[in-house]
Amino acid sequence: MKLWYSFTKELNLSAKSWYFYIEMGMAVVLLLILIFLVPEKFENRSSEYLYLDLPKVVKDQYREALLEKDLDESSEWVEVKANKKNYRAELYETDESKIYLLENMEALNAFSGSERVPTVHVHVNKDSQIIHTYYLQGYETQKLKNLLLVFHNQKAELDVIDEYSDNIVVRSIYQNIEPLSDRQNLIPVFLTFNGSLMSLFIISAYIFLDKNEGIIKAYAVTASSVWHYLLSKIGVILLTSIATTLIITIPVMGFQPDYLTMILFLITSGFFAASLGLYITSFYKDIIQAFGALYIVIVIMIMPNISYFTPSWDPDWIKIIPSYIMLQSFKEIISINGNIDYVRVASLGFAVLGLDIFVLANYRFKKTLTL
Amino acid sequence: MIRKIFLIFKRDLIVSTRNFITMYIIVVPIIFAIIINVFSPGINDTTVEIVLLKGENQAQEDFFKQFAKVELLDTIEAIEERVIKRDNIVAVLPHKTDDYFILTQGNEPEYIVDYVKYLTTFEHFDIGMEDSMAEIVDYGRDLPPLKKLMVNAAMMFSAVLGGMVIALNIVEEKTDNTISAIHLSPVSRLGFIAGKSLIGVFIPVVGTFLMLLITGFKDINYFHAFLMVATSCIISILIGFIEGINNDDVMTAAGNMKLLFLPLFGSVAGAELLAEKWQPLFYWNPFYWTYKGNNLVLSDSGTWIDILTYSGLVLGISMLVFMVLAPKIRKGLE
Repeated sequence: MKLWYSFTKELNLSAKSWYFYIEMGMAVVLLLILIFLVPEKFENRSSEYLYLDLPKVVKDQYREALLEKDLDESSEWVEVKANKKNYRAELYETDESKIYLLENMEALNAFSGSERVPTVHVHVNKDSQIIHTYYLQGYETQKLKNLLLVFHNQKAELDVIDEYSDNIVVRSIYQNIEPLSDRQNLIPVFLTFNGSLMSLFIISAYIFLDKNEGIIKAYAVTASSVWHYLLSKIGVILLTSIATTLIITIPVMGFQPDYLTMILFLITSGFFAASLGLYITSFYKDIIQAFGALYIVIVIMIMPNISYFTPSWDPDWIKIIPSYIMLQSFKEIISINGNIDYVRVASLGFAVLGLDIFVLANYRFKKTLTL
Repeated sequence: MIRKIFLIFKRDLIVSTRNFITMYIIVVPIIFAIIINVFSPGINDTTVEIVLLKGENQAQEDFFKQFAKVELLDTIEAIEERVIKRDNIVAVLPHKTDDYFILTQGNEPEYIVDYVKYLTTFEHFDIGMEDSMAEIVDYGRDLPPLKKLMVNAAMMFSAVLGGMVIALNIVEEKTDNTISAIHLSPVSRLGFIAGKSLIGVFIPVVGTFLMLLITGFKDINYFHAFLMVATSCIISILIGFIEGINNDDVMTAAGNMKLLFLPLFGSVAGAELLAEKWQPLFYWNPFYWTYKGNNLVLSDSGTWIDILTYSGLVLGISMLVFMVLAPKIRKGLE
């Protein structure tokens, strides 16, 4: 009862504060960005630059092979810029790449040397063999270099290779399921940072504000306990993050996500983040001092984004950062046939961890009050 | 005048060190740098990822390891679980007879599945790299683009941090009522603003230079770097002033902070992920030009004219913002 009273009082107070409206306004801004600025699909086709330094007959064969892969089976002449100079190039567009056939070695050098993109010089050696010379930058791994080498093995072009490779069975775990669009893929990032992680920072700002005004000390002389006070603060933040999450998610995702699980996860992950914020806060006198520690925590929490957008880089140690699990969980929640068990386990984990940290924070706050 | 400006700067520096905030903010880029260095070896791994059944075929495992990132798991269930994760890893598993099948999640790009198909075929026919008709030449540039991107974002972050120190300093001045005291001193308002701004340039410049040295960007033009960092600080300083003046408490300042990170991340994401036709949407954003200019600085490929153009654009936008905000700043400091 006392907890409920504290909570409704906090809610009333926040409804009058700027913070509440900034949060709501921010959610609307993010939504507008998602709808109007973020395209359904990012331009992620790679660009390849080649110079075919070959006899006409071979060159034509090469071109024909490219035309077969081209989306509209025709090429177009375009102007490309490298090292502040325009070069003519023949462009072939496939599903996965844009292939530019350059006209001379100067253009190729401009791209590999100044624009720092990988280029290929296709030429004939003295034994009349076609050689692919790859101009790389130097940071590429040996594995990637080996991959390029093995694909140009003399024997790799034999018919038997294609035949064997075509006959390898490919089975998909999820069939006929449309993966999330690029726009939808951004939602977990917005939810993780606007919702769960900002709790960490906002709760701390909240507490310092109250500390300045002596509210925490006042609590010591009331019938209410400190944990009521802390929990009611967390409650307000959780409610705000649920509201902002729904503002962002419903217009973009419709009714596809499992909203019940989403709210459960928002509550547990937000509770964890807010408890962590409380715990860190309990060590500092004012926000200026706490700022550094909170900032470092937020920077660490931002890191899993790199792995989220670059899936090939996914080291084990990054997987224990809570925001990695949050991103993954939000993604599962909004996906069709997402792994809801993963989200439930993650929710349980955050709830247990959050509770532990909350107990610790409560202990610290009680202690600092008496100091 | 100059002496007074430096006096204010010196005082800010001392006050900030007392609060540990400057130390933190100088340390943060160093932490960034160390983290980026820890990251980098893994960032280069941009090849195919394959998961195999542990101990099933040692020769195949050794073959794949030359070309791909290979993971080994004990059971088919564990492999299935691994394949459905967010990345594009695919499994190569034994079929009925002595051949293999490929297990995918279903949304991998086609070229990845093709790569794995061919690698499985090459292993079957014992085709290696020895008779390759390809040659590889490299420029010896060992700084990967993702590292450049991270250092670039961290540089912009440092500039924003400089603005935050100003905001926090002003909030503090307000609570201590020292602004009114300044009005009684012989320092002009402009001098006061200049003095207060210096710390917002000093901290990011020092932080950025340390970060550049630690992350291995030693051969770049440091004058170019200075120019880009210094101009990108101006917008942060302006926002720092406005935040400091408008906010009487840290609570609202904390909420407003998010607004500052949005154009920063937006510019990086926009420049990196969006097609050419969407780029004009970011032209108003000084962080966008900073990001582009920093890119040239980090790859050491920009001429003086390029750098002056980008820093000029940042400066121009900042000046426009200043013209709009100047009356508010003046009023706020009264």
